[in-house]
Amino acid sequence: MIFVEELHKKFGDNHVLRGVNQHIKKGEKVVVIGPSGSGKSTFLRCLNLLETPDSGKIIFEGKDITEKGVDINLIRRRMGMVFQQFNLFPHKSVIENITLAPVHLKMMTKEQAEKRAMELLDRVGLTEKANAYPASLSGGQKQRIAIVRALAMNPDVMLFDEPTSALDPEMVGEVLDVMKDLAREGMTMVVVTHEMGFAREVGDRVLFMDEGLVVEEGTPEQIFGNPQNRRTQDFLSKLL
Amino acid sequence: MLDFNLVWAEMLAWFESVGDQFYKNFIYQDRWRLYMEGLGNTLLIAAGAAVLGIILGIIIALMRLSKSRLLNGIASFYVNLIRGTPIVLQLLIMYFIVMMSYRGPAAVVAILTFGLNSGAYVSEMVRGGILAVDKGQTEAGRSLGLSAGATMRLIVLPQMFKITLPSLLNEFIMLLKETAVVGYIGLRDLTKAGDQVRGITYSPYMPLLVVAAIYLLIVTLLTYIFGRIERKVRESDLR
Repeated sequence: MIFVEELHKKFGDNHVLRGVNQHIKKGEKVVVIGPSGSGKSTFLRCLNLLETPDSGKIIFEGKDITEKGVDINLIRRRMGMVFQQFNLFPHKSVIENITLAPVHLKMMTKEQAEKRAMELLDRVGLTEKANAYPASLSGGQKQRIAIVRALAMNPDVMLFDEPTSALDPEMVGEVLDVMKDLAREGMTMVVVTHEMGFAREVGDRVLFMDEGLVVEEGTPEQIFGNPQNRRTQDFLSKLL
Repeated sequence: MLDFNLVWAEMLAWFESVGDQFYKNFIYQDRWRLYMEGLGNTLLIAAGAAVLGIILGIIIALMRLSKSRLLNGIASFYVNLIRGTPIVLQLLIMYFIVMMSYRGPAAVVAILTFGLNSGAYVSEMVRGGILAVDKGQTEAGRSLGLSAGATMRLIVLPQMFKITLPSLLNEFIMLLKETAVVGYIGLRDLTKAGDQVRGITYSPYMPLLVVAAIYLLIVTLLTYIFGRIERKVRESDLR
């Protein structure tokens, strides 16, 4: 579904990605872990071109999206993204947050979009918040709404950029539960996270990144049970 | 000992003179119409210029924030030009040079001049407001497949307005009062009306002080209305 070839990204003198190669298959749940500054968020943000790679290819459903002339807006409709800081639109109610893009992009009528939004809100248990504004919600609620907002576009893949890192500990569970549901339904997911429990439980494949490279990858059992690389071992030992 | 009769007489005389003054400056020959006409012009010019200024301000701010060096350069030059010269001079240049062959109402010249002037100042407020909107908002909009323009219009600009509202009110109040110089191009605004009546009646107190009171009243009213709007806009922030 997504092929990444020799992906490089620099911020000034800082060489953040130094040649990442990956193949993310349809329905696969890929969890990216690694120390801060390892390039894992940048890698994720390159997948929908929120960061423009300096070189390398990203082939999404057969099309190299880094080529000139590609309408990235059409590609992004099929890639949902969830941010660490939620990024709900504060001047819009919850239902407006969810329906804004599908209605504006004429993918659905307002009625269809609202119906779909209510179904999705029901799935995350937040129908009663449909007309609330983001400022009145807890962090966990905001993030569940942000997930719903991305899902309302019916994306083919969901990208999660540390979705629980800004949450109070007691709210992490409710967000992870929504993500687990999504995983069970067969959604293709790429998740950057520090939640090792989630990685172990949901991940089909775990990527350990350090200094701009995928240093080690494998099943959660391999990575957490028997890491081969020194840096993976160091990183995991610090967490325990 | 205070002579109450004398005080009383003086007060009566004063009131009589006030009545007389009022008659001379407002009633006689329907002079109140001059003030009304002037007030109408003042409000028309200020409102027209405010609308033009906001539209222009947003355009200039977007030019300044764009990656294009050319657009950025043009916008910076424009802001510098406007801020670097007095408004009265801009008005005169507009009237006597730029639009010398124009034969329509002078109010149009005034609206254009004040709009162009205000746009330069508003652009700086708008630019600051746009920069103050969290970058994550743009990223969220773009990640949903919205174009850069749609993201700006639907997500960033509404939040910019909320941030910028108090300074926009300030700008509008300044604008309203700055229009007092349109007398230079022969327009009768509120200030000019007061001054003309003063010239006819040779009594400065009534016309000038009443005109001042009218400005004050309008500004107070505007402050109140904007306060209400601001509170309304901030409702989504309430918990």
